[in-house]
Amino acid sequence: MAYQVKTQDGYDIVLLTGDVDLSCSPDARKAILASLEQGHHTLVDLSGVTYIDSSGVASLVEGFQTAKKGGLRFGLIGVSEAALSVLELARLDKVFPIHADLAARLEADG
Amino acid sequence: MSTGAAIEVDELVTHYGSRRILDRVDLRVESGEIMVIMGGSGSGKSTLLRHLLGLQRPTSGSIRLLGMDITESSAAELQALRRNMGVSFQGGALLSSMTVAENVMLPLREHTALDEQTMQIIARMKLEVVNLGGFGELKPAQLSGGMIKRAALARAIVMDPKLLFFDEPSAGLDPVVAADLDELIIKLRDTMQMTIVVVTHELDSAFKIADRITVLDHGRILLTGSVEEVRSSSIQRVQDLLNRRPREEEIDPDDYLRRLTGG
Amino acid sequence: MAETRQAALALSLARAGRAFVELLEEFGYYLALIVESFFWILLGPSRRQPVRLSAAVQQMVEIGINGLPIVFVLSFAIGVMLAIQGIHTLKQFGAETQVVLGIALSVTREFGPLITGILIAGRSGSALAARIGTMVVNQEIDALRVMGINPVRYLVSPVLIAMLVMVPLVTLFSDFAALLGGAAFCNIELGLSYAAYWDQSTGFMTTDDVLQGLAKSVVFGVIIALVGVTNGFAVSGGAEGVGKSTTRAVVLAISYIVLADMAFTYFLNR
Repeated sequence: MAYQVKTQDGYDIVLLTGDVDLSCSPDARKAILASLEQGHHTLVDLSGVTYIDSSGVASLVEGFQTAKKGGLRFGLIGVSEAALSVLELARLDKVFPIHADLAARLEADG
Repeated sequence: MSTGAAIEVDELVTHYGSRRILDRVDLRVESGEIMVIMGGSGSGKSTLLRHLLGLQRPTSGSIRLLGMDITESSAAELQALRRNMGVSFQGGALLSSMTVAENVMLPLREHTALDEQTMQIIARMKLEVVNLGGFGELKPAQLSGGMIKRAALARAIVMDPKLLFFDEPSAGLDPVVAADLDELIIKLRDTMQMTIVVVTHELDSAFKIADRITVLDHGRILLTGSVEEVRSSSIQRVQDLLNRRPREEEIDPDDYLRRLTGG
Repeated sequence: MAETRQAALALSLARAGRAFVELLEEFGYYLALIVESFFWILLGPSRRQPVRLSAAVQQMVEIGINGLPIVFVLSFAIGVMLAIQGIHTLKQFGAETQVVLGIALSVTREFGPLITGILIAGRSGSALAARIGTMVVNQEIDALRVMGINPVRYLVSPVLIAMLVMVPLVTLFSDFAALLGGAAFCNIELGLSYAAYWDQSTGFMTTDDVLQGLAKSVVFGVIIALVGVTNGFAVSGGAEGVGKSTTRAVVLAISYIVLADMAFTYFLNR
């Protein structure tokens, strides 16, 4: 897995690519939490993710919870079929704000 | 993802004392398949499962899981393989000294270096998957039979295993709860691409979830095939099992007399 | 007639032989178990499979702290009894003040470790066999193994650590309680003050006397752990099996403790 963080339209976008599994989800978690701790609205871009396991999803959950506590906006974009079905299994698709891409998210923000 | 066989059993022979329990069993389970191992009590299906789990050493034959022969592997190799295996035992086998959530978290604690918070979220997520959200703080003794099986399933899938073994998922449950579990098994395969082996004697459940069924009788495999093939099998013993007819064995008078008199 | 007698002799020989082999097997198992337990204690951390210290601490509380009241009561009673017997015997020689020496030596070298060993075998050895036996019956041991958690590391090593630490400590406590019992009786019967009793006791005793008792107690702790665990793992046949194994664990542990004590005393006093 690799990740990069860029800032665009008032959001930190954490772009994850490759397999997000036990071996690397702690890195993803740190990256997400780091953006939030700086007080930035954060989106996680999963469009490059080939596989995400429970530890990866747990990191997203923790990110969302941290954002809520800090009054920050959080969401997922570019969620692939495979990633979506993993979220659906725990009914998390109903919890996360999920949008196709940044443009869609910005539109929803109004 | 590897393609092809997730499990390959070759010429497996096992004994209990001098009694032969499994007799040249061959079995192949494809990756992403739900295989049901069926048979009455004494058929050897529980023994077969114990061997698939690496809990017992066979007399002869080989068992390959995810490409590794567990009859020849070292302890370290087996240890690594076990991280990719989940097992839900018949009685749940939750550790009674721990809460349900601690039970589910146990494999994570032992095998990963994840953050405590992350582990707790994963455990709670798995409990949500099996519809036990909010029950994590209870002790196993406080759960009903169906809840224990679901909690055991949550623990079995907490590491996102490639192989999932399920011993008698519906035994002793009421039909609605049993049907729920069947749905869950299918859902797990569909979303996580798990290879699932279910051992059961419940026909309804077997026909509902199976891609293929292996029928075991007296330690031998009678038939391995799709649900349709098993239903329409012309093998008398298979039909007896399906129609719940008691076995009608041919009796060898001499042998029988010897058994009765102990001579 | 002679033939049947011969046959009977052969049969009983065969039975004795089999029992002997089983005994050897059991001792072999104990040896393997203690080697494996120490293996995990020493090498577990470097293999990223450490022995859980929290479990060991929990066992220590269970074995040591929770048993202290009963250890105190029984050890105190033993001390009183030794004083009664000692004074009674020594009176005939007019040497009843020598009773302090007798109590001090027999308590530290013999009764402290023995009463502690027997009590812990009864309390914790049985609990251990029952706990592990129930886990076997409920397939919890199988579950640990398929999760890649070695049952010896997870269940046995913490118990062994706890026994090695707690049995000697409880033995020391027992020594004090028994000496206190002796002192109390001497105080009433002979008018000997506690301070004088304590001075005399410590004057007679050498560190070796105490250490001899503690060395014994370490061995007793190992015996209790091994016998309890082994009988737990050997359970078969449901709840009834657990009951049988529990009883067997206690009887065997106490027997081995007494026999080991005898051997110890013999070799240490030659």
